[in-house]
Amino acid sequence: MPVRMVESPAPSNSSGANYGQTCLQPCSLLSVGQAFSGTQNVSSPQKDEAWRVNVRIQGCDLDHGYLCGTMEALNVPMADTPVVTFWEGEIVDTKNYTFFTNKWKATSEVDIEHWTKFPSFSPLLSQVEVDGGKSLDLSNYQYIFMRWKEQYFVNVGADCGLTIAGFYYVCFSCVDGSINGYYYDPNSSPFQKLELKTTNEGRSGFSFSSYELQ
Amino acid sequence: MPGSASTTHRPEGLIERLRSAAADGGEAKLKVLRELKNQIIGNRTKKLSYIKLGAVPSVVSILSSASSSVDCLLIQCAATIGSFACGVDAGVKAVLDAGAFPHLINLLSHSNEKVVDAGARALKMIYQSKAAPKYDFFQHKNIEFLISLLDKNNENVTGLGASIITHSCETNNEQKILADAGVLKKLINLLQGTTSQRDASLESFATIIKQNPEVITKFVGPENSTTFGSLLELTKDRYPRTRLLACICLTLIKNATSSSSSSSSSSSYLQSVGIRTKLILVLLELVDDFGQVGDEALFTLSSFIEHEEDLQKLAFEANTVDKLCHQMQKESLQAKRLEGIFTTLGNLCSNLEPCRSIVLQSPKALIIITDALTHTTTDVRVAACICLKNVSRSVKYLSAGHFMTEAVIMPVIQLLYDASTSVQVAALCTVSNLVVDFRTHKSLFIQSGGVKQLVELSKSMDSTVRLNAVWALRNLMFLVDSRCKEEIFMDLKLFPLTRLISDSNACVQEQALGLVCNLVNGPVDSIMYLFTEGLLLNTVGRELRRASKPQVLVQAMYVMCNVASGKEFEKEAVMQQLVNEDDNNQSIIVTLLQSDVASLRTAVVWTVVNLSIPTGAGALTRVVKLRNAGVVSQLKNMVNDPCLDVKLRVRTALGQSMTFGDFST
Repeated sequence: MPVRMVESPAPSNSSGANYGQTCLQPCSLLSVGQAFSGTQNVSSPQKDEAWRVNVRIQGCDLDHGYLCGTMEALNVPMADTPVVTFWEGEIVDTKNYTFFTNKWKATSEVDIEHWTKFPSFSPLLSQVEVDGGKSLDLSNYQYIFMRWKEQYFVNVGADCGLTIAGFYYVCFSCVDGSINGYYYDPNSSPFQKLELKTTNEGRSGFSFSSYELQ
Repeated sequence: MPGSASTTHRPEGLIERLRSAAADGGEAKLKVLRELKNQIIGNRTKKLSYIKLGAVPSVVSILSSASSSVDCLLIQCAATIGSFACGVDAGVKAVLDAGAFPHLINLLSHSNEKVVDAGARALKMIYQSKAAPKYDFFQHKNIEFLISLLDKNNENVTGLGASIITHSCETNNEQKILADAGVLKKLINLLQGTTSQRDASLESFATIIKQNPEVITKFVGPENSTTFGSLLELTKDRYPRTRLLACICLTLIKNATSSSSSSSSSSSYLQSVGIRTKLILVLLELVDDFGQVGDEALFTLSSFIEHEEDLQKLAFEANTVDKLCHQMQKESLQAKRLEGIFTTLGNLCSNLEPCRSIVLQSPKALIIITDALTHTTTDVRVAACICLKNVSRSVKYLSAGHFMTEAVIMPVIQLLYDASTSVQVAALCTVSNLVVDFRTHKSLFIQSGGVKQLVELSKSMDSTVRLNAVWALRNLMFLVDSRCKEEIFMDLKLFPLTRLISDSNACVQEQALGLVCNLVNGPVDSIMYLFTEGLLLNTVGRELRRASKPQVLVQAMYVMCNVASGKEFEKEAVMQQLVNEDDNNQSIIVTLLQSDVASLRTAVVWTVVNLSIPTGAGALTRVVKLRNAGVVSQLKNMVNDPCLDVKLRVRTALGQSMTFGDFST
């Protein structure tokens, strides 16, 4: 019996005492152990270039709007081995974090300029311009917006000639686990695009792992 | 030229005179009692020596035979008996064995206030010892007597009443009897008295309210708001012990009211950030005292902030972590102080990453904590272990491989062999975190013999030990490389794993299934571990049909999901477990899809997604079987599931099943 599927509505403006205080729902594709692979476009006016990138989620704490993991860049020209960094993410849940970064040299104009590159952000734009999205209820939205900030190099020294000064504006699709991101660093090429897809590591389907800290 | 000492100045001589004075009477009694009292006062060695020589029964004999009119003799007897009992349990025992107790009680009703005072002081000494008899609060006349003591206008008598409560009140019923009898109000009134009355009263007050929300909420209502004022005022008292006791009372009130559902003015009163911060600052200042007050202040602070992240933040902002990291570096700290520091630091690091960062960036803190893992005192080993466990809740530092070093791992593994179960459990909890290590260093733990002992402990009769051992193995198995996985599996063997999945304790089952889930995750070949003897998947399937705890079902279903992400025959094996065409009962998949628990529905839908992936020779057959089992119909009912994750996976599963045609027609 065919059933009509109700399309997910655009995020609503919440009202009253509950506004902006609803945690995001867990998404199994964005849970610990999940792996993603794709590319980061690092092209400059002089040269077209893209690095292969692997990402693995290592920690997720939705109550605190926290996500972390590692990012591995594979064909970095000036490095002999793949370069692995550890990053920490702020999940824009309007409870712990809003769309406004308020740090890392990002003004609200820079924020809006990057967020608007994601088509799924457009229904949110007008409200975000007002209050950074503080009054939006994103708990049922099919996209999760985040900022990923690399914290340290895992396998090479800080003197490796690479920089992790910037951060990524990230949009994750709960539908298929795809990740799009834009790197922002005032001293690097603008709008370096990160494109990742969930990987199944040679399997015919999805596999999950987990740990629990005590 | 030295002469020989007179026997009258040696203990034996004094005992001789005491005995004859007890027998003959006269003024000699008073003289010898004074002499004895002066000898033993503040001198533990002499007390023990005279106790051994049998002095106490003679003194009690004088007391029992003394006429009530000879006040000074009664006072001397009571004072001597009190001195024997002061600070020496053997003295208390000797005094009680000699039958002094009823005679001392009689003194409390004497007409001379000085006699009453001496009797009360002696009895107070007795009640300050653990060897004292337990007071029976269930006797009405005893309560009446206790209240009469608290009503007296004599510091030692009211102090005796308070000491009786502090010593004897242990159960919730006893607390309630005392509260119902109005004892708390009497104790609050005594807060206006002398320093010793205040302290004794605060200590008794704490005893009556300790972990008893019922007593607290009844007492600390709006009509008693002045009590808070008094307690808060006492946190500023000039005497450290008084400040500490006031903080202990406020902490007990806060903890009991925040754990009970009923709200009271007290809990809201203690919600004030200003008051909370003040209490933390008072306790932190007391921690500078390196005696008993400082030790108790640490445990009080720890208890005050436990389980409340907001309070932990306030303590962090008050520089508690820096202070404790600094203090732990002092030489020759007593065991109690170390335990207090580790316990408080552990609480601070249970939630707050900035606290963990300070500990881990402090030059010596981690070394001191790991050194304490081999401390001779059990409580210190446990506290150090729990502190390390909470510090290692940092994914950031785990990911940096900060803990997987020989200096940290070796002493923790050693604790897995500790004779104390509480140490073993603390060590297992710590290992559970340390082995999450995301880098390729898990081999250090494996090569150091850690897995063998975890497997051994997973067979323990003690379910807490068993649970935490399996928990550690599950975390160790998370994203482990293939070589390590094989080594762990070799140690684990199949049989214990099968037994753990069917354990009588559901929490053990949940962790065991989580372990299997991690085992079959990663490279697709890993799934083969489940088929080495063909039993494990059957066991998981049986638990899916048998278990009731949702968390067990979630883990079991994710095992199925991971296996179903494998090759054709592995998908078929899952189908055999979940869809039995010969069975007329509702398919387990449909039953579990109807669960109220969203995470369980998610796990089931993922399994269906994996089983219905359109590529593969058996895909169509599987989809047909799933449809015949009612799974596809059930999925159609779930396209608007309230859980977004479920809803999205349902769409994927339906989309895949429809690639073979819509079976609805």
